[in-house]
Amino acid sequence: MEQPENRTEQLQEQLKIVKTESPWKIAVRRFAKNRLALIGLVILVIMFLICFVGPFFSQYTLNETDVKNRNSAPSSLHWLGTDKLGRDIMLRVMLAGRISLTVGLVATAISVVIGATLGAVAGFYRRYADTIIMRIADVFLALPTLPILITLGAILSDLKVAPEKRIYFLMLIIGILGWVGLARLVRSQILTLREQEFMQATEALGLRDNRKIFRHLMPNTIPIIIVSATLGVAGAILTESALSFLGLGVVPPTPSWGNMINAANNLIDFRKRPWIWIPPGMCILITVTAINLIGDGLRDALDPKMKNR
Amino acid sequence: MKKRLSLMLVTLMAFGSILAACGGGEETAKTDTTTPTETATTDNKTDETAATDEAEPAAEGESDAIGLTEATDMNSNPEAAKARTDSMIIGTTAPQGVFNPLFHQTAYDVAIDDTIFAGFIKVKGDGTYENDMADDIKISEDNKTYTFHIRDGAKFSDGTPVKASDYLFTMKLYMDASYDGQSDPLSWNIVGANEYNKGTAKEISGIKVVDDQTVSVTVSDYDAMTQVNLGGIAILPEAYYGKGYKQGDLTTVKALNTKPMGAGAYKMKNYSAGQEVDLVANENYYGGVAKVPNIIFKTTTDTTNMAMLQSGETDLDNITVNEDNVEELKSMGFLDVDVLKNNGYGYVAMNNKKPMFADVKVRQALTYGLNRAEVVDAAYGPYAEVINIPQSDVSWAYTADKINPYDYNPEEAKKLLDEAGWKVGADGIREKDGKKFEINFSATAENPVVDALIPIMTENYQELGIKLVTETLDFNAIMEKKDRGDYDMFFAAWGLTPDPDSTVYITDGAQNNSGYSNKEVDALYAKGKKELDLNKRKEIYAEAYQKINADAPEILMYQRTNMLAINGRLDGWDITPYKEYQHSLSQVEVAQ
Amino acid sequence: MSQYIIRRLLQMIPTLIGISIIVFAISQMVPGDYITASQNPNMTAERADQLRAIYGLDKPPVQQYFVWVKNMLTGNLGDSFQHKMPVTKVINTYVWNSFAIAIVTLILSWTIAAFVGVFSAQFQYSFFDKVVTLLVFLLMSLPSFFIGLLAIKYFALDLTWFPTGGMTSAGLNASGFAYIKDVASHMVLPVTVMTVLNVGGLTRYFRTGMLEVIRQDYIRTARAKGLKERTVIFKHAFRNALLPAITLLGFELPGLFGGAMILERVFAWPGIGQIYLASLNMRDYPLMLGFTMFLAVLTLLGNLLSDILYGVADPRIRLK
Repeated sequence: MEQPENRTEQLQEQLKIVKTESPWKIAVRRFAKNRLALIGLVILVIMFLICFVGPFFSQYTLNETDVKNRNSAPSSLHWLGTDKLGRDIMLRVMLAGRISLTVGLVATAISVVIGATLGAVAGFYRRYADTIIMRIADVFLALPTLPILITLGAILSDLKVAPEKRIYFLMLIIGILGWVGLARLVRSQILTLREQEFMQATEALGLRDNRKIFRHLMPNTIPIIIVSATLGVAGAILTESALSFLGLGVVPPTPSWGNMINAANNLIDFRKRPWIWIPPGMCILITVTAINLIGDGLRDALDPKMKNR
Repeated sequence: MKKRLSLMLVTLMAFGSILAACGGGEETAKTDTTTPTETATTDNKTDETAATDEAEPAAEGESDAIGLTEATDMNSNPEAAKARTDSMIIGTTAPQGVFNPLFHQTAYDVAIDDTIFAGFIKVKGDGTYENDMADDIKISEDNKTYTFHIRDGAKFSDGTPVKASDYLFTMKLYMDASYDGQSDPLSWNIVGANEYNKGTAKEISGIKVVDDQTVSVTVSDYDAMTQVNLGGIAILPEAYYGKGYKQGDLTTVKALNTKPMGAGAYKMKNYSAGQEVDLVANENYYGGVAKVPNIIFKTTTDTTNMAMLQSGETDLDNITVNEDNVEELKSMGFLDVDVLKNNGYGYVAMNNKKPMFADVKVRQALTYGLNRAEVVDAAYGPYAEVINIPQSDVSWAYTADKINPYDYNPEEAKKLLDEAGWKVGADGIREKDGKKFEINFSATAENPVVDALIPIMTENYQELGIKLVTETLDFNAIMEKKDRGDYDMFFAAWGLTPDPDSTVYITDGAQNNSGYSNKEVDALYAKGKKELDLNKRKEIYAEAYQKINADAPEILMYQRTNMLAINGRLDGWDITPYKEYQHSLSQVEVAQ
Repeated sequence: MSQYIIRRLLQMIPTLIGISIIVFAISQMVPGDYITASQNPNMTAERADQLRAIYGLDKPPVQQYFVWVKNMLTGNLGDSFQHKMPVTKVINTYVWNSFAIAIVTLILSWTIAAFVGVFSAQFQYSFFDKVVTLLVFLLMSLPSFFIGLLAIKYFALDLTWFPTGGMTSAGLNASGFAYIKDVASHMVLPVTVMTVLNVGGLTRYFRTGMLEVIRQDYIRTARAKGLKERTVIFKHAFRNALLPAITLLGFELPGLFGGAMILERVFAWPGIGQIYLASLNMRDYPLMLGFTMFLAVLTLLGNLLSDILYGVADPRIRLK
């Protein structure tokens, strides 16, 4: 029962190639047809625009404190209220978005690239490649992150790395620390995929390894990569503030969504001053949801098992 | 990946909140009454208790915010609290379980030990000392021999009398080669201590047991702190702790850390690590059996401590001082809210050894040019004050005489910088000999003062034509930069002990962070340490503070407050910034 | 298979040696040591030297490393500087409190995530699926201490259903069932919050895994054969959606003993997370290194376990 169907599918695939439309073009076309995915993309673009352009229209500046007007509720002067130093939350949320969006996306991209590639290589070759990569992964998992981060923070400080440049280290560190989980997830998928029939076909066709891995195995792991990436973006945005405390990221008064939400760390702020924590919280929520919508769209677009709708 | 990131997140966020609550070294706090110097802390929200007594005359310029506000409505007291007629529950950050005055380290272990152990002398409300278990202390003409006489009826909680030999035994433990507690007993200069420490002598030759109730101690050199060092130690019963002790090995003593026994008002009934410590009144206490028979120290955290007071689950707790919390506590009605001066101060250190800060005019300019009042107001509201000398305004050594307040004055600051040769360059940044005036500033994150200080300081100094480059770092990392002398400026705080003697401002002093050096100040501190007359010491330290104030070796920022909330049903407290709540626990009673 | 396990266990030896070297090197590089971190007010340079000699911190790092490893091989992790008692005893005192909430959380969150994930996959883009998805993202967008505070506010303060914090009621003098009941009531809030946080991510993985499998041919075949939907889902599909879950399960093993630093603090739970964190802040190396190595062993075992389970879930997987 299964065999013939599989064959027709493969035939269809090959036919597509014959039709000279590249898989990427198909993917783009499929993605463009996905309404939800497009909405996600639009939301994300708008977020970026607001965060990068919005602050130019604000009548306030970053370092401007106004202690007399601290903790004031949203008003016509301050649309989203002020924080405990009397700074305009609207402006801070937008400025924070520049940091948090960049950190969230770049750091996640780094860990996805490293994790997916290493995981796929380990799962595909097994034996030595697997042993070496997975033992390195073990070491990464077992290492205590906090002392390492403290040390790195101190080193950056001693090297007098300008605070505004430390954000790059931050993205790199979050990215590098995050690859292990995804590597193991992708590897587990590849381990089972490589035993399936379609891989025997690639074997028969005499395809080269990198083609097998990146064209035929990896696309099947896209769903898990997307879940991992969406969760990773939220994680990276919140992790940023913790790393920044140790000198590895932004320095106050530079805001980020993470450090803004951390500023409301008691029950009284929680109850009395929702305008302090709702805006950054909402921003993270919107970002994560948008990325997830895009991710779902990407998955459907890239999924070789999906019929050409 | 999610797992990994969130795991890391947990690690880091927790680190953040720890910083918020106690900072790198905050937990160490004051070790005991015998500590004559200061302690560096990342000054933060909750730490050890300190309190001003309501009856005490308010210090100059003190606002209404500070002091005791009595409960207004005892009818609103929750049933849970009312039901406890023979006990009280004290909320505390979890102690480490080191219940031995030789070894304890956190303020929370100290509080519990203070109720279990007693010594020859104890601290009074004004920061001076009075007799405790000793009823007579004689000091020889040359100030080198101290004879303590133990009062009749002083007993350990098992009913055995406190003997002079127990004091000698305790001193031996301190002088032991394997002693790794917080005190520096060899610096007490007891004759024969070094020999005992090295193992070349079996006894400490300078300590003589005259009879069961009398012991004399001879020191090779004395200073103002000698009597406190010798008399302030808590006495451990030899019969209990001495079993198995061999010179050079304190293992058997440490093994009893969770089962302490002393001569204090309470004794330990039960200890559940991380949860609670149950104490019962010591029926053999020489000062009379405590009026509240049971005390429970229950672990709370700053997220829930107010809620637990509100529900009546605790009777007393330290709460972070800020306007929100004060208002919340007062509105509950059944709590006595005591806002007390903290024994300590926050400051911005300047590296006096760097050429730009070596010039006193630059240091003064940086002090004038920073709007300290705004920073302090933003961080603490009315619950902290700008200070200008490194001493608590409730200390006997405090002076406001001939002290420059360095009120915010950017014009004066600019003038001083011009005089110092720092001229405004083309880009608005001052320069001298081709060098730009740029300052690297390090501070710990998640600290209310730093949150306010960084933006205000950046803006203020920009106006002066100085570029401030800021970073946040782990507290220990800042301290290491300090030790290496590789820094420009950092923010930190000192805790103050009752005695003004200190090594913070003397040349190459152990706690001298800024590299400040003034021969006159050195001489005054040396003189003050050697002088035993309080009034003369007062004058000496006043003069030292005036010189420090003029030299501005660091930017002194503020003295903040602590807040103690106590259920109104408990009366009889005697609390000051020096005499913490645990010292009057035995007199407290439940008023129904 | 047993050959594979033996080989993997042998591989753990060089891995652990590597980890121990790196971890020890980090401890040497971290700024400050116990002496400086404790900020002792009495500390003079001489006293600091004495203490370093007592703790063996004055010896060259290489020698310190070998002393540490040698002691570790005999089961001696040294004495905690802060707690003045053996590290094993400190860990033993606190780790079980953490384990108690972690194991309950594990069971609850995996059960819930499996069901929720499967149903949201089966009814993809349904109202249920959308609500679950949004909820998951909402929880991810807030830091965990925040969700902890939220729970305390509503369930402990407003509704007074559960205690605000701690593990037992103060002064509780109960044993047996009464004691268990008291602890259980204190566990409800921390466990709930941890479960909710855990379920979020897990649900996503289960949902995706199921979505993948459901589309595959053999499921269509099973349905075509007229099998009941429940049998199809749980017997045929679920098993194959397990692979990512098994990977994640392997990560849970060290998590069971690692403690939850933030939430333990929020709920005043006497777990190991806080103790470990303090050991880092105070540079209490014996405790910090000892606990790190303890978790490292669990991490390696967890990953080995998941590798073995792959083969059980999907017999086609041949690990070499």
